[in-house]
Amino acid sequence: MIRKIQVVILATLIALPLLSFAGDKISGQQIIENVYNRPTGNDQQADLTMSLINSRGDERVRTIRQFTKDFGEMEKKIMFFKSPADVRNTSFMNWSYEDENKDDDQWIYLPALKKIKRISSDSKSDYFMGSDFTYDDLGDRHPSQDTHKLIGEEMIGGESCYVVKSIPKDENYMYSKTVTWIIRNKWIGLKKDFYDEDEDLLKTLTVKKFEKISGYWIILSTEMHNVPKNHRTLIQLSNVTLDSGISDTQFTERMMRRGL
Amino acid sequence: MSKRKVILTILLTLLFLTIASYGESVYLSGYARNYTGMLLNAGNEFSIVQNTFDLKLEHSRNRVAFKANPYFYQYFDKDLKIGLREAYLDIFFNRMDFRLGRQQIIWGKADGVFITDIISPKNLSEFLLPDFDEIRLGVTALKADYYLGDNAFELVWIPIFTPTQTPEENSIWFRTPAFPIMPVFDYSQKGVTASLENSELFAKFSAMTSLIDFEIMGGYVWDDDPTMHARKGVDPNTMQPSITVIPQHHRLSIGGGSFSTTIGAFVLRGEGAYYGGKYFQTADVTTTDGITEKDYLHYLAGLDFNIGDTRISLQFIQQAILDYDDQIANDEFENTATILVSRTFLRETLKMELFSYIGLTNEDALIRPKLTYDFTDGFQLLLGANIFTGTDGRFGQYDDNDMIYFKVKYSF
Repeated sequence: MIRKIQVVILATLIALPLLSFAGDKISGQQIIENVYNRPTGNDQQADLTMSLINSRGDERVRTIRQFTKDFGEMEKKIMFFKSPADVRNTSFMNWSYEDENKDDDQWIYLPALKKIKRISSDSKSDYFMGSDFTYDDLGDRHPSQDTHKLIGEEMIGGESCYVVKSIPKDENYMYSKTVTWIIRNKWIGLKKDFYDEDEDLLKTLTVKKFEKISGYWIILSTEMHNVPKNHRTLIQLSNVTLDSGISDTQFTERMMRRGL
Repeated sequence: MSKRKVILTILLTLLFLTIASYGESVYLSGYARNYTGMLLNAGNEFSIVQNTFDLKLEHSRNRVAFKANPYFYQYFDKDLKIGLREAYLDIFFNRMDFRLGRQQIIWGKADGVFITDIISPKNLSEFLLPDFDEIRLGVTALKADYYLGDNAFELVWIPIFTPTQTPEENSIWFRTPAFPIMPVFDYSQKGVTASLENSELFAKFSAMTSLIDFEIMGGYVWDDDPTMHARKGVDPNTMQPSITVIPQHHRLSIGGGSFSTTIGAFVLRGEGAYYGGKYFQTADVTTTDGITEKDYLHYLAGLDFNIGDTRISLQFIQQAILDYDDQIANDEFENTATILVSRTFLRETLKMELFSYIGLTNEDALIRPKLTYDFTDGFQLLLGANIFTGTDGRFGQYDDNDMIYFKVKYSF
């Protein structure tokens, strides 16, 4: 009898997580789509501080003022570099599209040349300003570009998270796979591991602070750690304002030249 | 340095520091730089030893703003040079901006080539070697911009003409214009009187769209480079033939445009302009002053792309004289190419760059390798070289001026 009870308990322990998955009836694809579609306001402006910290602890700091606005079929972003001194007044504008087949449009204004240059957005694997973030890491990668699979659930920092493995459909993509821990119901990717082509851990992204601002969950501090090089990049947002009604004219050649 | 300049420098520095200290929201930035260049000739002479102090003062309040950019150049062999690169006032309206004062105005999509980019004249006292913001001469102008969505219409009125600044006669960059006999120069007609009828006018329409960025421009201007009127005569003392060269600026009418667009991983750029009323030197003895008026075209195609982490930019440029005759000193077609290859290392703190102008017509070139290292943020070390090849042409004429140089720059 005792043996039968042991078998029943064991079977129940094995079955419970499976039943829990079945009860949620949510797929990896749906989870990632929920993250992608998490509302963050119609427009946003913030000060961004990016700290590059090498293995010796030396730190280099870049400060940026950024504006973002959702135009429906497209999202426009404009960034004004405030420091260091030799890049001050440089601005960068990006138009990204809902249509996954349409590449982003990007321009950069170089104050020394007094010229706006259109640049190709093809090099999404390039690192942004010497940081540990690639341009693609900073953007919203469309869920349809990867195959997503829910591989478990874990508690991180007191938050119950889904764990989703994503494998890019493009075999030549810079990462062979990513694993993301996503907070249930908040749809925030709290942690993300990036694996290189040999399936070794390359980078880990950790969200250090998030808050509800104007009714939206906003990530305020995030760190990317390049594991083999032991180099870190910390991005912190401050003075965040949402839905302030940023004018459409903020995202134009005129503003790129004028600056802040 | 004269006593007057020393006093002026001290006073200006105190003025700027006072403004920066007391003006709560006046933004002060700039750089201090040492630039040392050495010729690669037998004597290893220093071609330049320059200490630079460049300041930018900016302030804005509601819909108005100002910017001033004074600079100081100190040389071991020349007087202190003080100037204002820019000093202007801005007024912003909902759809219009006005900028009044000394300003640098840059048009076009070309890199290092001047086709529709002809508003701010060039300082060629050190040929094309200084940084581009230092090659540009500020012009006193009224600039008005009207914006409609992603389109802009710009009008520029320049009341006072500023010509190209040429090298001084004792400079290694000075070249005497070629004439069959040593000419006498008469500079009496070189100036353009500052008057309303002698002002310059430029207009531009530009659009920035997802598909393409483009500009269409026109201008009624003065040729920045003077035409060399060569008047033949007889020297009354020797009774030998003589030539008197009378440099004189002439009016040009210009229409052109430029574009840039993305095709996959490539950025394709183009720029072209039609110049009406240009004077060229000719051997035709029936012409007056040895010059002939011809229109010409100047155009460019460029391609920017990456191979791995290396950025590459290529440009092909052609200048074509219309209704050409064989006696004109210039070639009917002058072809030039540029190539830029650059790559960064060590998280963008180390940059290797190679930029070259290649004269396809005269088989000459200017090759400019450069290594830049950000020792720390805002403190840059730069080691570079300027290598001239060929014997004739725009670059070959400086074959003796190969040099290496070193720059240390502190930005604040």
